[in-house]
Amino acid sequence: MGPAAAWRAGLGRVRRAPALLFGGWLITIIAAAPAMWAVRSAIEAHLGRSLEAERAADSVNYEWWQEFASQASGPAGTFTPSILGFAAPLGNLSSVADALPLPSGVVAAVGGFVVLQIFLAGGIVDRFARDTRLGSYGFLAACGATFFRLLRLGIIALAIYKLLFMFARPAMDAVQRSWTQDFTVERHAFAAYALTTIAFILVVAAVNLVVDFAKIRLVVEDRRSAIGALASGLRFVARQPLAAAGLYGINVLVFAAVLGLYAIVAPSAAVSGWALVWTLLVMQLFILARLWARLVFVASETALFQSRLAHAWYVARPIPARPAPATVDMSQSRI
Amino acid sequence: MRELALEGDFRLHGRPERDRGSIDLDSISVDGSNLTSRLRFIAPDDGNAYDRTVAAVPLDRPVAPGETISVQLKWRSRVPRPYSRTGAIADYYFIAHWFPKIGVLEAEGWNCHQFHSATEFFADFGVYDVRLTVPAGWILGATGREKDRRDNGDGSTTHHYYQEDVHDFAWTTSPDFVERRARFEHPGLPPADMRLLLQPEHLNQEARHFEATRAALRYYGEWYGPYPYGHVTIVDPAWQSRSGGMEYPTFFTAGTRWLAPEGTTEPEDVTVHEAGHQLWYGVVATNEFEHAWMDEGLTQFSEGRVMGTAFPGRHPSERFFGGFIPWVYRDIRLARETDLNYLAAFRPHAEGDVQSTLTFRQFPGETGYITYFKTALWLNTLERWIGWPKLQTILSTFFHRWAFKHPKPDDFFAIAHDAGVPEWFFDEVHRSSNAFDYAVEELRSWPLPSSDPMFETTVVVRRHGEAVFPVDIRVDFEDGSHQLASFAERSERWKILRYTTKARAVRAQVDPDRVLLLDVNLTNNSLTLEPRATQAARKWSLVWMTWLQDLMLTWASFV
Repeated sequence: MGPAAAWRAGLGRVRRAPALLFGGWLITIIAAAPAMWAVRSAIEAHLGRSLEAERAADSVNYEWWQEFASQASGPAGTFTPSILGFAAPLGNLSSVADALPLPSGVVAAVGGFVVLQIFLAGGIVDRFARDTRLGSYGFLAACGATFFRLLRLGIIALAIYKLLFMFARPAMDAVQRSWTQDFTVERHAFAAYALTTIAFILVVAAVNLVVDFAKIRLVVEDRRSAIGALASGLRFVARQPLAAAGLYGINVLVFAAVLGLYAIVAPSAAVSGWALVWTLLVMQLFILARLWARLVFVASETALFQSRLAHAWYVARPIPARPAPATVDMSQSRI
Repeated sequence: MRELALEGDFRLHGRPERDRGSIDLDSISVDGSNLTSRLRFIAPDDGNAYDRTVAAVPLDRPVAPGETISVQLKWRSRVPRPYSRTGAIADYYFIAHWFPKIGVLEAEGWNCHQFHSATEFFADFGVYDVRLTVPAGWILGATGREKDRRDNGDGSTTHHYYQEDVHDFAWTTSPDFVERRARFEHPGLPPADMRLLLQPEHLNQEARHFEATRAALRYYGEWYGPYPYGHVTIVDPAWQSRSGGMEYPTFFTAGTRWLAPEGTTEPEDVTVHEAGHQLWYGVVATNEFEHAWMDEGLTQFSEGRVMGTAFPGRHPSERFFGGFIPWVYRDIRLARETDLNYLAAFRPHAEGDVQSTLTFRQFPGETGYITYFKTALWLNTLERWIGWPKLQTILSTFFHRWAFKHPKPDDFFAIAHDAGVPEWFFDEVHRSSNAFDYAVEELRSWPLPSSDPMFETTVVVRRHGEAVFPVDIRVDFEDGSHQLASFAERSERWKILRYTTKARAVRAQVDPDRVLLLDVNLTNNSLTLEPRATQAARKWSLVWMTWLQDLMLTWASFV
């Protein structure tokens, strides 16, 4: 199976698993809800009975916003204009590309979500690998069975990413600064920045690719060793670099297309009433599309892995059967 | 460096020797008599024994009033790697603060300050007749007009610049500049030739630079007084040259970026600002070591007014990806009164320092907020309080009366007093660091036990800040009527208003027309009995949540 075929297979597997898409979307909302509630309470408390709330409710009250931001802390400390429209994904991607630290106010929310994703990853890969409906019991059983091995893998991956983000990127930045210190043309400086950033992103993507296939191996082949899975993932990518990188590239392009579309349609938040409902709906559709792209990513990588190392729908671990309900054989009983 | 350290800036400490600049005075002679051996460094501001920025030379004899002496200085200037808006990087040279300047002799004696990290400069007017030799083919711009140019035949060209009635001279040269020319013409104002030295990567921004300069010359001319020199050079500085956004007589640096989307304030605001300096800094020429607010503050206020008039409806922007990629927040429109006067930046520094403290003695980290933004905010407050025609009269009188004369703060205040601005206003905004904060603390409206529906309303207004300003209070009722009151008592911290009306009160506002732009807390200026905070909080928390969902998905894609 080539990368395009794997991507098409992944697309089909995601289409046949709508519960994963909508369930995943609901989980983003549930995971974000406590922090959202904290921000909501902070805004409500700051506005109180002020008339500034009227302008804030109907449009963008920038002056109040700046006043609020000057005293906000915790999750509300991240309530800045960069949450508006397409600036939100742009700013988030920019923070990753520039290896900026996660804002302290949302570390708990993002960290919790990442752990939740590690827990769900086993079920998601298992579902896509089997390409058959497992039901909630089968899904959660797969999550539970693979959680600790995926957690170990996640911790190792986190350590590698930490090295990249905390040491490699600053070192690359230092090289870039030294290289461009006498540049007097911003375009040239930008080209140097772009090259450095692309190099960094390629390294991160390579790690990401290996971690993805390690994750798939842990689930599909029912392995337990995270280090073994990483080595296996590395071998898999090394033996079929074109297929693995090609598929990664296709998925990145699909994600870019989702972003590009959102850049065009991202609605204004300076509205109220039904227009606001529409705005929020489009924003959530974007989250749904982003999640869909991510699921296609995982499903297509699973399809490629299976096609190269086993066969389609192969999963080593048997489908977990729901245990029969407890019964008492009364016929044998004696009173 | 000590002052920079107070600002948390330690960049100079690690700067290698080769990147540092200097001016070495080789000799000084007066009327042919060599006085070099008498030269000694002094530190009139802080007695710093290591300071080498002011030197004194005792003369053989006193100079009589009206007498002329000839002073000859020989010096060598080493151009630093760009720092503090001067220096050289690659083929771009911006040369300012490059020659020994004579101090200003005032009635009180010599006014000559050391170099300070947070202040600009002060010098007397003079005639500059300068010849600058640079490689042939390089474009050169400088204070004044080019009188002639001579090819030296050795690969260099000497440019001869001349300007009368200015108090500084700066210049720039680079082979990369693209030269563009245009002319400012407006009925009732003297024309001016505009020369733009543009970076090649900003060619598409030529019109924006000229339009911004035109707007400054036009509105400054109409509001305050005409630009007298007939020519101005706009320099678009090179990337990383650190020379952007600075004014010199008839010559200033703007500053833009390769990607500068339309609808934002860049490069218009910095161009309007620096072009505007040509009048307050260039012509009126106040002492920026001591009273920086008189130039920077008036210019900041004027920039906001010109931007609001000529380029309204601009949006803020933010730069992502290493600060290269701009994103314009088109949902937000910048308001002249608040955003262009930088209220949000001023707010945390409202009590940072006293504006009447000599600028070089202010805490270095606070100077910018107190000189630029506070002045712009109090001038705009004054505009909204006494009206633009009166304020315009004050400013234009100040310009015409004090052009080329180095006025002091009291000269400005005297004109304002003549126009009816009370002394206490300047006590509050200039001679104190008190913050303004008025609030509606309580609003209650309840039915009275009577056959006719009548309502009793109580409004409590408080002054949380120490600073005092007379403010209006407006109470609106359900039937569309309203009541106005004022809170002008200087000794009171609160005021209670009671109304018995046929309709229930719905809202109360202090300073409803937003006259007092220095009020640091707008949110507490009003109360309503029909609050919509829940609605606003729901809306914005849901918008924020989408950002968080996206952030979570971004990070989760790594595992």
